[in-house]
Amino acid sequence: MSAPLAGQRILDFCWIGAGALVTKAAAELGAEVIRIESRSHPDNLRLTPPFRPGTDGLEASGYFASRNPDKKSFALNMTHPEARRIALELAAKANIVTSNFRPGVMERWGLSYDDVRAVNPEVAYLVMPMQGSDGPHRSYIGFGATIAALGGLVSLSGEPGRIPIGTGTHYPDHVPNPGHALVGLLASIYHRQRSGRGQLVELSQLESTVNAIGPALLATSTGNRDQLQPSGNRAPGVVPRGVYRTADEAWVVIACSSDQQWESLAARLVDDGFEFDFPTGTAAQRDSRRDEIEESVARWVSKFDRAEMLGILGREAVPSGPVNTSADLLVDPRLNARGFWQIVQHPVIGEMPMFSLPFIRLPEGRPTLTRPPLLGEHTWDVASELLGMDRERYDELVAAEILY
Amino acid sequence: MSDRSSGALGSVRVLDLTDDHGAYAGRLLGMLGADVVRLEGQETGAAPLIPPIHLSELGPRSLFDEFVHAGKRSARIDLTTDMGADILRRLVGEADVLLDDGRGRAPGGWTDVNPRLVHVTITPFGHGNSPDWEPVDDLIVLGAGGLLHLGGYQDTGPMAPFGRQSHIAAGIFGAVAALAGLIEREQTGVGNAADVSAQESIAQALEDSLPAYALTGKIREPQGDEAREAGTGIYACADGYVSMVAGRLGTARAWTALVEWMNEYESTARVLLEPRWGQFSFRQSTEASETFRRIFETFAAAKSKTELYVDAQRRGIALSPVSEVDDLLANEQLRARSFFHQFDHPLLGAGVIVPGPPFRLSGTPPQTTGPAALPGSDTADVLRELGLTEEEIHSLVETELV
Repeated sequence: MSAPLAGQRILDFCWIGAGALVTKAAAELGAEVIRIESRSHPDNLRLTPPFRPGTDGLEASGYFASRNPDKKSFALNMTHPEARRIALELAAKANIVTSNFRPGVMERWGLSYDDVRAVNPEVAYLVMPMQGSDGPHRSYIGFGATIAALGGLVSLSGEPGRIPIGTGTHYPDHVPNPGHALVGLLASIYHRQRSGRGQLVELSQLESTVNAIGPALLATSTGNRDQLQPSGNRAPGVVPRGVYRTADEAWVVIACSSDQQWESLAARLVDDGFEFDFPTGTAAQRDSRRDEIEESVARWVSKFDRAEMLGILGREAVPSGPVNTSADLLVDPRLNARGFWQIVQHPVIGEMPMFSLPFIRLPEGRPTLTRPPLLGEHTWDVASELLGMDRERYDELVAAEILY
Repeated sequence: MSDRSSGALGSVRVLDLTDDHGAYAGRLLGMLGADVVRLEGQETGAAPLIPPIHLSELGPRSLFDEFVHAGKRSARIDLTTDMGADILRRLVGEADVLLDDGRGRAPGGWTDVNPRLVHVTITPFGHGNSPDWEPVDDLIVLGAGGLLHLGGYQDTGPMAPFGRQSHIAAGIFGAVAALAGLIEREQTGVGNAADVSAQESIAQALEDSLPAYALTGKIREPQGDEAREAGTGIYACADGYVSMVAGRLGTARAWTALVEWMNEYESTARVLLEPRWGQFSFRQSTEASETFRRIFETFAAAKSKTELYVDAQRRGIALSPVSEVDDLLANEQLRARSFFHQFDHPLLGAGVIVPGPPFRLSGTPPQTTGPAALPGSDTADVLRELGLTEEEIHSLVETELV
């Protein structure tokens, strides 16, 4: 079975969030991903909850597991000069080298783009510094949450007059930054196929995040700043548009764009005994009575359980859907019909669902995901097969806490 | 229009029949040098314009559309006619990548016309899963994909972030799928297809909530605007807010540095030197979060977000301003990297500011794209490139097929 990145070997220094998702995707597209990690300075994510009750240690994190299926782990203690020599030897045999450190770390290890290019001219080399490799703030530190704030997404999201709220997650780490990095990296691989030339791909996490709010920038220069006030779930021309609490304490989304959709919904409210002078006609007319409409819809929805409510809305062809919790997502019929979740067996964690890339490639279909690696699980395999290392040398390096 | 041929996708032709859910994919491929032709005039549900909305002399324009279509050419062809359908076949025959919204042929359904085509279909829930109604609003996809449930204030319920993130996410993964398809085609010599789901694109963003449920049975509820722990959250200052992570995800050093810094300026911060504050478990308590907020906001009341940003970073604390859009335009780092670009637009005016590319490629720099073409403005050129004669093009225009 073919895969786009079959035969591509990635030497992967990425850790924590955004970087690990880039190489997760690459692995799913067929690349051989060799994670460089060490007990001397473990990936923070290996120490981050959730843990299955009764398990702990470097192999037990469900968070780490969720981002690292399909990868190999090579234990290498980069504080040791010999480890850096080994890393460069591995880099020489890779097609792609990835990292998401602050600028200067790979350089200090003698693994800068220029260092790697000297031994591997065609290498595709991805870096993901928070604010880019140059400029006055290149060494500033941050996490997904602070990047979302710095990049403008937080201030635009919430309700007017309240603390802005963003997504409630480290969203830039999960979609815009790994996603844009993948686009850049895959483009460089395509270009290398055609030209034979490698290159340096840089993803500034800040600049990537600002692209996710691109339309707001256009608003500043066209005299439309007034539309950048946070507006919650509301949007012009869609009335009602919001989330509504059901009797069984779940939420549903309702969003009526057309007059006909609103009239179907309104007729149903009337049938259910709501006394209300419903506005008909244009969206603008509904917009002027938005509060009143949304309050009525909220009262109506609160009388039904979610499943019943979604059934009614579906029959009336009113645009709607569930607000899925993590529990709902695992049993979501569309996600399951498409094979989005795959269960893997992990020796410490046990059974765990992994998420797939958000597309099905044809004709191949979804690839099977394999479980995430134990720390250093593949060190011997990679050292012997790729570096031609013998057992004696390997044992020495393990004893010296270099392969560690 | 800048020279595309030097881009990584300099020889790639993309035909774009997406709707809102996938439109951003073509923008990304265009920045990489592909020639992206957007085909207008197919039947779509009457989706209201996505804000922000600019009132131009020719009526309202969505700035979301202007952003996601920037750099694309535009042809207007009536696909409901035989002649239109024939032109579409010929365009697909010449294309390397077709991006569409699932209304036409199924993914992989164009092999008779173009066996080398990379066909990427981008829909809300995956091909064949369309609901009985349309349009599918961003809010519905965010709800189905699980991100919505993690956002919002405690007293409001789930709340969407700005910017139609389900469209951005699906567009990004549409571009990923297209590039994966092009890479595979280079090896196999034949085309391939991908069926992208916006719901699944948003479900990439569930953070720890899925493993948490799978391993512990706990459903993660929205955090709201309450800090998860002392030192991590959004805090008010003199001219707005700052965002800080100085807790568990940060380093022990960051918390110590933060306490030292606050003590230099604020006498009430002495309490943070008590031993119990050194314990992470205490800092996670509501009492600690509330006390910390009170002290920090007193400390920050006379300091600007920029001042706090620079001072905190000097001390190794991960703190950023909660930037408003004007702060971004003034951001020293973005300016030093010449990040923002400008273009002149016939309806939006001169000097429209647009973010630069989200990635840099050293050997094939992404292009600074111009504005979105006005609908249909490239129709004649596109037909000419297909080999139609001037006479044929003229007669098509006469019969209002294009």
